[in-house]
Amino acid sequence: MKLSGIRYLGRQGLDNIWKNRMMAFASFCVLLVSLLLVGISILFYINLNSIIGGIENKNEVIVFLDENINDSQLKEVKSKLDQIENIDEISYYSKDEAFESMKKSMSDYEKVFDSLGDDNPLLDSYRIKIKDISFTSETVTLIQELDHVYSIRAPYDFVNILTEMRKIITLVASAIIVALAIVSMVIISNTTKASVFARRNEISIMKYVGATNAFIRVPFFVEGMVTGFAAGLIATIITWFGYDAVVELLTKEVNILNIIGIGSIIPFNDIIFKVAGTYILAGGCIGALGSVISTRKHLNV
Amino acid sequence: MVELKNVSVTYSTGVDALNNISLRIDDGDFAFVVGSSGAGKSTLIKLILKEIDATSGVVMVNDYNLSKLRRKKIPEFRRTIGFVFQDFRLIPSMTVYENIAFVLRVIDAPRKYIRKRVPYVISLVGLQDKANSYPNQLSGGEQQRVAIARALVNDPQLIIADEPTGNIDPELSYEIVELLKGINECGTTILMVTHEHDLVRHFGGRIININSGEIVFDEVIGGNNEA
Repeated sequence: MKLSGIRYLGRQGLDNIWKNRMMAFASFCVLLVSLLLVGISILFYINLNSIIGGIENKNEVIVFLDENINDSQLKEVKSKLDQIENIDEISYYSKDEAFESMKKSMSDYEKVFDSLGDDNPLLDSYRIKIKDISFTSETVTLIQELDHVYSIRAPYDFVNILTEMRKIITLVASAIIVALAIVSMVIISNTTKASVFARRNEISIMKYVGATNAFIRVPFFVEGMVTGFAAGLIATIITWFGYDAVVELLTKEVNILNIIGIGSIIPFNDIIFKVAGTYILAGGCIGALGSVISTRKHLNV
Repeated sequence: MVELKNVSVTYSTGVDALNNISLRIDDGDFAFVVGSSGAGKSTLIKLILKEIDATSGVVMVNDYNLSKLRRKKIPEFRRTIGFVFQDFRLIPSMTVYENIAFVLRVIDAPRKYIRKRVPYVISLVGLQDKANSYPNQLSGGEQQRVAIARALVNDPQLIIADEPTGNIDPELSYEIVELLKGINECGTTILMVTHEHDLVRHFGGRIININSGEIVFDEVIGGNNEA
């Protein structure tokens, strides 16, 4: 096909949007709502995950070291810890620091501490942040095998709750997202079918004058794609404003959430290109494919 | 050229629409196909357009053997035929010009040629003033003339007119047939289905009468206008 032919068909597709503006608008709305439903669910899920991730980052495994450990042994333990994959951060906490902070937090019992004098009953420790807390117990086992480790305190309850929560949220969120995606596909395919059905006479006339299937489909393809792009663009804008409004509400009004890591909510500016790209690409593909697939039935004349 | 050899069509419902008919319409002929409704006229047309396939027998149209024609080749085949329908079948969202130009765009004709050819066929059917009108702004007779211009535009070997006068005023019907006659004189084969006997008697020519799926009459008669 010549370039002028392709240009003609492309323009036909654009003209068709205007000529069939009611149906085009219906397809646009359905696509927009579907994109928003699925998109917002995914964003909600990602943020929930990020918040849990934020909470997880507050995990701390404390590795108590042998009572009379010397500097070279300390270094040895440190370098061994460095080699463990699942450890994110290691910080040294000497028994003197521990003693001071204990004194401060229990200032009412000053006398007890005084009676101890310089005799510090506490142990030197390394405080460790775990990367992936679902492997906490495996990592703890690895640390236990090291020399000069006296004991380990790990937040198992915390870890278990978070891991379970994450599993449940992932399961529920995927189910909801898949269900919404299916519902959207059904509605979209019905809308495009209706839009194509309204023009079945036109299609049959084209067939009678010897148009190939591709010739008939290209305008529908262009039309669906452009409608989808538009829906994706508007979905991006709506999500942007909605998202920012919700974040503002949460950060300003709801103080409780601050405690459990509202800071982990992803700022929209960080993901705007990803969100826009996904929306527009998904809108374009679904729109184009939907209308092309719907023409198939009417092409067998 | 249209040639049918021992063609039968049985629909899946068990109805025998055409029963072992043979027929030959040579290049340059003008033939009327008449018969009461349900006689098999529409089946004959559908057969020639390859909308349906013959249950048995051979259908040759413009050197295409339709029973052996593959789906992919159907568009190419249909470009050798022009159609005129009772209900005009113009695309309502396109102007007269676009409706006609569309046929040429389908065959990927050069834009220069389209710009020359379309106004020419529009003038042939006498609608120069209506080129930018939409179908719903035209009378039935005018719409049918647009349809004829559309059938004509890519210079097909054969034009099939299925009750072209069925939806227009009787006095305008003669005009439409005159137009088809004129096209026929330039060498295009024309097959016109009708049940308006007055019209057939007036013009005369080859008459093919189909009844209950069989050809009961196929002869050339003189028309009133020639007497």
